[in-house]
Amino acid sequence: MTDSLVLLSGFLAAAVRVATPLLLAATGETVTERAGVMNLGLEGIMLGGALAATLGATAAGPWAGLAVAVLVGMLLAALFAAVAIGARADQIIAGTALTLGAVGLTGTIYRQAYGIGGAGLALPTLAPLPIPGLSQIPLLGPALFDQPMPTYLALLALPLVWWVLFRTRTGLALRATGEGAAMARAAGVRTGLVRTVATVVGGGFAGLAGASLVLAQVGTFAERMTAGRGYVAIAIVVLGRWHPLGVAVASLLFGAATALQYVFQSLGLDVPYQLFLMLPYGLTLLALAGAVGRARAPADLGKA
Amino acid sequence: MMAFTACSNSAPDPGVRVGLITPGSIADAAWNSGAYAGLQRIRDSLGLAISHVEARTPAEQDEALRAYASQGYDLVFAHGFEFQGAAERVSAQYPTTAIVVTSGSRTQGNVSPLIFKLEDASYLAGMVAGGLTRSGILGFVGGIELPPIKAAYEGWVNGARAVNPKIQTREIYLNSFDDAAAGREAALALVRIGVDMFHHNADAAALGLFQAAKESPGVYVFGANADQSSLAPERVPGSAVIDLPRALLLVAKAVKAGSFTPKVEVFGLASGVVRYEPNPALAALVPPALEERVRAAADSIAAGTLVPAARPASMQARKREAPRALSSALALDAAQSHRGHGGRRSTPVMVASSEFSAPLW
Repeated sequence: MTDSLVLLSGFLAAAVRVATPLLLAATGETVTERAGVMNLGLEGIMLGGALAATLGATAAGPWAGLAVAVLVGMLLAALFAAVAIGARADQIIAGTALTLGAVGLTGTIYRQAYGIGGAGLALPTLAPLPIPGLSQIPLLGPALFDQPMPTYLALLALPLVWWVLFRTRTGLALRATGEGAAMARAAGVRTGLVRTVATVVGGGFAGLAGASLVLAQVGTFAERMTAGRGYVAIAIVVLGRWHPLGVAVASLLFGAATALQYVFQSLGLDVPYQLFLMLPYGLTLLALAGAVGRARAPADLGKA
Repeated sequence: MMAFTACSNSAPDPGVRVGLITPGSIADAAWNSGAYAGLQRIRDSLGLAISHVEARTPAEQDEALRAYASQGYDLVFAHGFEFQGAAERVSAQYPTTAIVVTSGSRTQGNVSPLIFKLEDASYLAGMVAGGLTRSGILGFVGGIELPPIKAAYEGWVNGARAVNPKIQTREIYLNSFDDAAAGREAALALVRIGVDMFHHNADAAALGLFQAAKESPGVYVFGANADQSSLAPERVPGSAVIDLPRALLLVAKAVKAGSFTPKVEVFGLASGVVRYEPNPALAALVPPALEERVRAAADSIAAGTLVPAARPASMQARKREAPRALSSALALDAAQSHRGHGGRRSTPVMVASSEFSAPLW
């Protein structure tokens, strides 16, 4: 009995670990998309953040790595904003170009900085910080309150983003820009500025998401290590109906499905492993088809 | 996307040009970085012009092969089992370029495979793991279940069971060779059910596995494809190594000398190219009796009396009879290098890396 409790607790902690980078990136993308901007460069920005965190942590420790990753994420998003909002280029193409560029550039910079031996596993990392008292709660304690700093940041950001989006004038202007930019402009909102800021904020979150992979999980950089998480985060925004709470639920669902997939594979059943690998994606598709029927994207999403 | 990362035109002998196509990043501290190190040695010690390109998808791989062949490269290393089909197609059109498929399956025209029996070394790693495990459960994390990877897994399991028939094993595949965070989660999931000895074949994704071992008390990882002791010196008892630089250099040397003919080259323990490399820092972990058994098994494998893992049909070498000059030369030269060290050991198992760090030709 206690054994299975320990296993369940470990599983929940794994689900939260897998969900953390997705939650961070998806929270940021929610802000961006609410302002009417679809940033497909998310994957590339996460990768840039991961490399920046590696370089920053090598130079000045994990906190510096975290800070540099956020800055680089914002910088890359600003680049995207300049092209997609400033120059009114197609958002889908600009975002894809950013991701493709980041994949090549991060690999090149990484090899220049560390050689083909890579950075190794000597990087200073962010160990889990158990919160006294709360981490002792059975089952949920270790899952939610014995995690590294990026997980806490992700959880703290949720109410903050909700409050800004739905309870402030800034949030109203932002949502108005996403729903009807022309109308918002007529009402005196500087829509270009709002979209740029929303994109840059989203970039900061994506940079942090990349940093969490390096500093709170793997402990080093690997080329293409984001492995599609940026795109999954974009799907999570849709699944979460462009709402921070929905995004949190969707991230945890995806994290749990992924963690469950490892558990199934570890059982050693005589089933092709590819079936288990499909689980998180199949589940997401099902949830999208079932639950999102009534959801509506911001009306001006993706329009210049 | 293809990225030309290294085009050296400074070599003094522009006559022979050698290309390398890797299916993943050359900074993976394993399969791909080993090949790249080999390419650099070809430039440095043979003075040949080299070029490298990374090609991940079948379409890119076909295109990259075609690009090198159409430019008249003399030798192209297609680094992986997955290149076999593309190599045969391209070679039919450009027969003057020698294409060597590492981990390939058969000769066809000017295409020849280098077969690395990593399972030989993984078997020895499995024996050590089988002797060291406390839980009796071994774990394996793989990128994709390619036949050579499956063979290495079988070798690992058979080695462990040779020491302890009751050993249980668990495996997780990631469907990625890059996703290091997935490698870590897979390892942690296995640690939760009691796995304390790991082996892998996941290239860069395995970095997460090493990190997971560092975080979990009493958990050890056996490296694959390269000597990976330095990744976690206190948690890697040894590595199943393919000395890719040595193998690639031998082929390039033959091409430069004009003596290269397409044939199947098989590298097992006897060649010294595939070997089990213990981590000196953890030597105290392995009891002498176990070490003796491992050494005896290595001798039997090298002599051909012990088969670590049956190779699936897709990997059976189908060769047109050809002399195996290269590998027998290698075996000879490995034996000599051991005699130089006192002749204590009859096969190149448990050799210190320094013995192979100097060029042997």
